[in-house]
Amino acid sequence: MKTYYPETTIIKGLARVHRERKLPLHTAPKPTHTMTGMSVDAIHVVLEGDVLREYRILDAGEALGIRDPNQLAEFILVSEGQRVQYGQEIAQRGRGRRSKVLSAPADGEITRIEDTQIVLQIAETTIEVMAKIPGQIDEIEQYTVQITGHGALIQCAWGNGAFCYEAFRFVPEGGFVELSKLDVRISEYRRVVLISPNAISKGDLLVAQQQEVAGVVAPSMPSNLREFAMRLTFPVLLTEGFGRRRPTALIYSLLQSNMGRQAAFDAVVPDHWAGDRPEIMIPLPSGGVTPPVPMLERPLAVGAHVRITRAPWDGLNGEVVDIPSAPQVIDNGLRLPCAKVQLGNGRIGVIPLANLELLG
Amino acid sequence: MSFEHVTSVLIADIGSVHTRLVLIDQVEGQYRLVASTRTRTTTAPPLANVNLCLERAAQQITDRIGRDLLSADADHLFIMPEQNGHGVDEFLATSSAGRPMRVFLVGLTPEISLASARRTLAGSYVEITDTLCPDDLRSQEEQINAILQGDPNLILIVGGTDDGAEETLLELVDTVKLALSLIMRGQIPAVLFAGNQALKARVKQALGPITEVFTSKNVRPSLHDEQLFPAQIELALTYDDYQGKQSSRFRDVGRQSQIGVVPTTQGYISTIRYLSEIGQQGIGPLCVDIGSANSVIGAGVRKEPHFAARTDVGIGHNMPGALNAITPNEVLRWLPFDISADDLWDYAYSKQLYPTTVPGTPEDLMIEQAFAREIVRLLVREARADWGLGQDELLPPFQPIIAAGAVLTEAQHPGISAMILLDALQPANIAELYLDPHNLISSLGVAAYVKPLITVQTLETGGLINLGMAFCPLGRARYGQDAIYAHIRQPDGSVINHTVRGGEIWMAPILPGTPVEIQVKLRRGLSINGKRRIRQRVTAGSAGIVFDARSRPLALPRLKDRAVRFLRWQLAMSGRKEEPVDLEATPPSAEDLMPDLVVQEDALHEDVLS
Repeated sequence: MKTYYPETTIIKGLARVHRERKLPLHTAPKPTHTMTGMSVDAIHVVLEGDVLREYRILDAGEALGIRDPNQLAEFILVSEGQRVQYGQEIAQRGRGRRSKVLSAPADGEITRIEDTQIVLQIAETTIEVMAKIPGQIDEIEQYTVQITGHGALIQCAWGNGAFCYEAFRFVPEGGFVELSKLDVRISEYRRVVLISPNAISKGDLLVAQQQEVAGVVAPSMPSNLREFAMRLTFPVLLTEGFGRRRPTALIYSLLQSNMGRQAAFDAVVPDHWAGDRPEIMIPLPSGGVTPPVPMLERPLAVGAHVRITRAPWDGLNGEVVDIPSAPQVIDNGLRLPCAKVQLGNGRIGVIPLANLELLG
Repeated sequence: MSFEHVTSVLIADIGSVHTRLVLIDQVEGQYRLVASTRTRTTTAPPLANVNLCLERAAQQITDRIGRDLLSADADHLFIMPEQNGHGVDEFLATSSAGRPMRVFLVGLTPEISLASARRTLAGSYVEITDTLCPDDLRSQEEQINAILQGDPNLILIVGGTDDGAEETLLELVDTVKLALSLIMRGQIPAVLFAGNQALKARVKQALGPITEVFTSKNVRPSLHDEQLFPAQIELALTYDDYQGKQSSRFRDVGRQSQIGVVPTTQGYISTIRYLSEIGQQGIGPLCVDIGSANSVIGAGVRKEPHFAARTDVGIGHNMPGALNAITPNEVLRWLPFDISADDLWDYAYSKQLYPTTVPGTPEDLMIEQAFAREIVRLLVREARADWGLGQDELLPPFQPIIAAGAVLTEAQHPGISAMILLDALQPANIAELYLDPHNLISSLGVAAYVKPLITVQTLETGGLINLGMAFCPLGRARYGQDAIYAHIRQPDGSVINHTVRGGEIWMAPILPGTPVEIQVKLRRGLSINGKRRIRQRVTAGSAGIVFDARSRPLALPRLKDRAVRFLRWQLAMSGRKEEPVDLEATPPSAEDLMPDLVVQEDALHEDVLS
């Protein structure tokens, strides 16, 4: 049997979590009050910058009535790389009521002064990058910050792009229907992240919105709700994927055992190429011991704990009991390298290696 | 560079999901595929290290054949050149992994130079962000924003015949120069100039101080002459440069290879060019490759390679893109069970989340194979105009037909792979079908840059899996009527006589590699190469010999018959005896519950795939 390195999903009760936060490269960084060694909470803004996108070419020569660039130079009040604000004078000729002035049409940055033209790059918006996990700042650079924290970590399958740091609890037994009957003003679920062990529907999300919850975690939802979920202001995290998928019991038991605690719900939209993956981090005391960093790349071996990612066993966890050296024929007739996995109920399934994830 | 000394070569193809490594060496004076392996690609974060998958793949080859490939020297990934039976003389790499390269196009005329630029790019993993030409009515400010807002990785400038228009093109170059000079943060896109050769030096002078400028021969040296190949070669270098700028240590890999990391499609183009030259009557091969993130098709037409890549269509990372391009109804018609369009979308989006996984149930497998059929059909549909074919015309007799991508090469039986190709491509007359599980077609295309003999000999010595020949008569036979009578004489004298009925497909159970003599008689109204009787010697492939009496254009069964007929086809092409179908055991479907509605649907569908 060749050595096989499966994908890894981290579902861990206590781990040292190291995360890098980044500003997009086209932003102009702004100073923050973050320092190396500093302890931060999850909503602390560790990086900030202006997103500069559109360029405006301003004709200073025409505005000031000067065609000679050399003559114009002495009337230009800004330099390349300088930040300007809306209405700020960037070129001026003369004083008083008869003066000719060119003002910045928007906040931005002067990127070029050439001949009689000034190029301004407009600041569209300001980005604030939060720590997203409570922890300590290890390193700061202009565009990146490294943070380390301790706690339980659960990597999820999909997120709607939102984030919150709040307490969480499971939906009541009657589900979202029961929740909808509560008075939002006195509801104990208000500003709390709801954990649903069942797939959710649009109706469930509408109830969550109406009940002013802080977020929703569920195994799955129909994929046609993606756009709707992306418009919601609170995080929606799917632990398994789209359609009706079986919940990974390990995830929901881990959440159950930490219910009532605050946790960071980072519902970043997954991006395979960028390595963005939604996750839940529940900060926990490490008891003076440094917990291990989750291992990301281990070969599959007998005894390994794995999660199955595809039907008919999707969402089930088990232990690898054998890795046959020859490919096996599975139910659909495909002949593939497989592992024998003992599931929770003692049953042994022959699962394609490609459909196994190691639990990091 | 001289490559005469090369006797062994290691070629990696780095895909979005799998990295394949093949070792080619001289055996008894001929280049042969000696070993191949496949590992999971490790270019994406958190690993973001392409060396890792290459090392693992190389180690697997070492474990299998006992030949050390990995170098102990930290600066070199592989032992090169070959020493005492270990290492290799040359390492080459192709890649289709990662996001497509974003390209902004600049040209003089949309119909001529920009059209040539698009054809140049058709064979690469690129996404065109926008275009600029003199007819552009946008202000200079808007043009600059158009260039920069798409964050291109490359600006491709074409236009002007050699020694033709200069000033207009230089004005466009000035706009590009101004735009690039404004970039204060992030990466400045590289420039590839493939226009009027008289301007090459001036373009380099203008843009060289700002960014890296690649140049190639003019894609349109004269109005009636189009030369894409030199620009495509240079484009491969810009791709290497682009990959090197990603944070996956691609630059390390590029340094191991004398020609950098080449787009996988460039390798295809090179091999198709070779196969087209040896093909008869100007008809070359047809290659389709369905990957996780990209799908490509290439064909040799009039001895020229024609290629198209869809960077938004795949069977893993880009399965939602594929469904968007082909629509759920087109996938659903290949499925013999009830499933809604919403379920298909759920499947596609979930597969995007787990692109490395494989179908675990028969239903999931059928869904992915249905996608594969429709992706191939989409690629063919879009390539038709480039091949000079009308929308309703049958394919020209491409020989051979070669399929790559795990969904096509790793079906439950080679016969199923053959059937998927026949369903999707609907070749008429006689088709030779091959599978390329090692992505050799692309790898050997790159090997041709180093030493063409490697490509020629490795293809001749059987690096591909021969599925066998498929006899696909033209015309229509009614369902159930005798359509093809096959008389097959094997070398031991035994004879197989079989009648294939209209609407059915049959895989003759003959061992791969067995030469047989075939006599085919066709029903009136059917023909192969214009004849109703054929006598031919053929060698069986891993799918035996296939006889397809399902008409051309292929007629899909009506909805109510579909489950039974699909099952029959599957059984026939899996080499299993037909089993009686227990219709009572199947759950009632929509047509059982609402027969009136189904009649209307059948009328609407007509179900002829043309």
